Amino acid sequence: MRLKGTVLAAILCGGVGLATLPGAVAAQGLFANLPRNETLILENPEGTIKNAGWFNIWAINAGSQSNGLQQAALDTLWYIDPNRGLDGVWQNSLAADKPQYNADFTEMTVKLRPGIYWSDGVEFTAADVVHTVTTQIKHKNMRWSAALALNVEAVEAPDPHTVLFKLKKPNSRFHALFTVRWNAVWIMPKHVFEKVEDPLKFDFNKPVSLGAYVLHTFDPDGRWYIWRLREDWQRTTLARYGTPGPKYLAYVDPGPPDKRVIAQMNHELDVIHDVAPEGMFTLAKQSKSSVAWFKGFPYAHPDPTLPALIFNGQNELFKSRDVRWALALLIDIKAVSMASYRGAATISAIGIPPTGRHPESYHEPLQDWLANFELDTGKRKVKPYDRGIGQQIAEMLRPSMGDQIPSDPKAIAAAFGMGWWKADPQAAAELLEKAGFKKVGANWQTPDGKPFTVRVVVEGEARPVMTRAGSMIVEQWRRAGIDAKVDVAQGTLVTRRAAGDFDTLISWSVETWGGHQDLSFFLDSWHSQFVAPAGAPQPPRNWQRWSHPDLDKIIEEIRKIGFDDPKGIELGREYVKIAVREMPTIPLMSYNVFTVMDTTYWTGYPTAADPYTDPVPNWANSRAMFVKLKPKS
Amino acid sequence: MRFYVTYLAQRLGQFLLVVFIGINLTYLITHLTPIDPVEQSIAAVTSFGNTSPEAIGAMRQSLRELYGLTGAPHEQYLAFWRRIATADFGPSLSAFPTPVSTLIARALPWTIGLLATATLLTWVLGNLLGGLAGYYQNKTSLKVLAIIAMGLHPVPYYIVAFVLLVMFGYLWPLLPIAGGKAMNLGDQLNLTIVLSILKHSILPALSLLLVGLGGWFLGMRSLVSNIVSEDYVVYAELAGVDRRRILTSYVMRNALLPQVTGLALSLGAIFNGAIITEQVFGYPGVGSLLVSGVYAGDYGLVLGVATVSIIGVSTAVLIIDLLYPLLDPRVRTA
Repeated sequence: MRLKGTVLAAILCGGVGLATLPGAVAAQGLFANLPRNETLILENPEGTIKNAGWFNIWAINAGSQSNGLQQAALDTLWYIDPNRGLDGVWQNSLAADKPQYNADFTEMTVKLRPGIYWSDGVEFTAADVVHTVTTQIKHKNMRWSAALALNVEAVEAPDPHTVLFKLKKPNSRFHALFTVRWNAVWIMPKHVFEKVEDPLKFDFNKPVSLGAYVLHTFDPDGRWYIWRLREDWQRTTLARYGTPGPKYLAYVDPGPPDKRVIAQMNHELDVIHDVAPEGMFTLAKQSKSSVAWFKGFPYAHPDPTLPALIFNGQNELFKSRDVRWALALLIDIKAVSMASYRGAATISAIGIPPTGRHPESYHEPLQDWLANFELDTGKRKVKPYDRGIGQQIAEMLRPSMGDQIPSDPKAIAAAFGMGWWKADPQAAAELLEKAGFKKVGANWQTPDGKPFTVRVVVEGEARPVMTRAGSMIVEQWRRAGIDAKVDVAQGTLVTRRAAGDFDTLISWSVETWGGHQDLSFFLDSWHSQFVAPAGAPQPPRNWQRWSHPDLDKIIEEIRKIGFDDPKGIELGREYVKIAVREMPTIPLMSYNVFTVMDTTYWTGYPTAADPYTDPVPNWANSRAMFVKLKPKS
Repeated sequence: MRFYVTYLAQRLGQFLLVVFIGINLTYLITHLTPIDPVEQSIAAVTSFGNTSPEAIGAMRQSLRELYGLTGAPHEQYLAFWRRIATADFGPSLSAFPTPVSTLIARALPWTIGLLATATLLTWVLGNLLGGLAGYYQNKTSLKVLAIIAMGLHPVPYYIVAFVLLVMFGYLWPLLPIAGGKAMNLGDQLNLTIVLSILKHSILPALSLLLVGLGGWFLGMRSLVSNIVSEDYVVYAELAGVDRRRILTSYVMRNALLPQVTGLALSLGAIFNGAIITEQVFGYPGVGSLLVSGVYAGDYGLVLGVATVSIIGVSTAVLIIDLLYPLLDPRVRTA
């Protein structure tokens, strides 16, 4: 009936309003019937949702994830904050305590938090967790079916607040499936799903909520979703952190970047997920109420994701580490930073994002090792690391950005990164010669006498910042005599990346927890057992299809130790050293997200000065914002 | 009458052939796309969260079975035509298991509402003003209008759209810059919703009107300019026939035939959606649906939208073909 009504109205009225230009109205009609000062409006970067009325997140890719569903209405056992966290990085959410493994990691026991209720008044118990697992194992096409079926031999609920997982094989990181880093296995309501014949065809509309908010209303055309604070929000896990500020959350599709900027200037979009650097600079200059992660330049929140130039390790040209290193030494990272992020990049020379707790665990302790690291070019030994490049980028920007650029070295390192490899064309030439390449005239040839041609695949307009980084690298390689070309993949990037249809690629094969030093989140997938043969699709995340026996040993060691074992950091540093020596990817910078927040109606957003969580609104972890935000008086 | 039956049969045959070839071409193109919907789904699921490489392998196989991508090519092709015969485009792969027909049915009214109105309004205004400008060639106001039309016509659509966005969305924030209607208006159709839809349609409709008006205006002015020097028009003027009657009954009626053909084609093309308009103004419609389907490698969705479009354009051409002998006696004698 609702659809029919809208349809009829659209047919009758679409476009004929030219003659009915309304009178001056302050607001532009974004809202109706909602108190603006009680509503937090956030961008859903998924855009307009085709399948708007679908809330069954356990079906694969069927509906929206970040329309508020996973941030406001769902919950699971644990969260790891990518920044500092409300009361620490680790959050026991539905679980009352950390996971308890037996000695050989074949069993995991979880104690659940009592007194948590679904929005329809039913108490949350261990039966919900068991049902979540068994339903997805029984129906193999569900979102976490494969991961659960591979791991879980049996799951039991000895009492209403205890769950016992018996695993098919030892897995010291099994709990990671139920630990939110952006998302995780969400717990489904048993009392709802047990009545459903086929959970794959069930839309879960209206969703029963386990989070502090419940669905208020949504657009059948998928442009917006409004969630209302539950009257019994005290019976949810978020309550232990305080009273949520916004009574309503509106997740909207504000349109392309220019419209996001306009919407925030008009105070109709409180949290922009991301804009191009130019949009950020416009808001910084023209919107006094807009704030970002950093108070000044480079503004953006560094996500625990590491864009890099990824070599196809199964391409003969890149099997020599001398070639990979030569190409790294032909890159001027300062120019790449300026071209991509207009200088607002946080660079990293090592294969770990320079964000969250990683700098203190990896980047800082490894500075001396990096400074002393030597490369043998075949003619001499060089020390390629320049620990002052972050500082140099800051100084390059200072004349134009003035006070926006910090002067404290620690602040500079946090904002722009520490060191990187200094561009050294001479050493690069020596390394190429060592690998059998020859320079004929101004151009390099491969050992078999063909032009040294390298395609750099970039995503195109869908990811302009990374595309600009790739274009700048191509330009630098061409100047050095390499026949480098930009290869714009547009929408085919995902398919080509999995198929290994690239020479090199600007993408990322490193993503981490951010707030926790454990690297298994991405590193486990780099084991040689998962490298697909040429032509077969590669599972995430080792897109470079590269492996090394020494790295395998490290990964196997990490599998044997506990998640919080300090030895994990030592092993992580060993990974870094191997990756530096071998250079399977050329790490560039963290994925900086220009999340911009409007303080007209709300204060208390997370920032670098108060990094209690990630402000990027599609992360489920961003729910921490709800309890810290207060209405502006 | 016999002529008309033969003519009708020929045109119907052409119509069916065009639809058949068009749909087959679309099927071929969508199945040759380098975008794999399974990889797109896996990327959407795994790009942020925890991922086990072993689980991904199992998920790949499950999705291929679920999406019906495991059969031989000829089996998939035959299954496609079986579904088309019952107007069923199958499930959308990027919004599985929702049927494509449901998604199109939800989007199409917005597109038709906006584009049909804007197209008709542009056509009527453009032809009316163009006819006047061609007939009353010495009127200053119409000369100014011609200059404006000529100036606006070559401006790329997206520039006009962005200027309108900045003017009415930011500098003079009177109008909504995105969406089809305001948020949270409730479920029941009422005056508030109707007014909200009208308000949201003003900017996209205005942008289409400003850019489209020039073409109709200049075309009609040119046609009328030629007709006014025809003997029968001169004779009518010398005979003292009222000038308004000459303009409407003698001049514009004759000049209208090619414009009607253009209108029919434009109306048929409505089913394509106005991709740029819908993207720029965040307007819900089939254009946006098509773009999202292409990016997701959603064969079913792209095929569904393209099939509706092919049938729409072909039907418009068929209707014009069938009407022409009634409107223009020369066709009957050709």
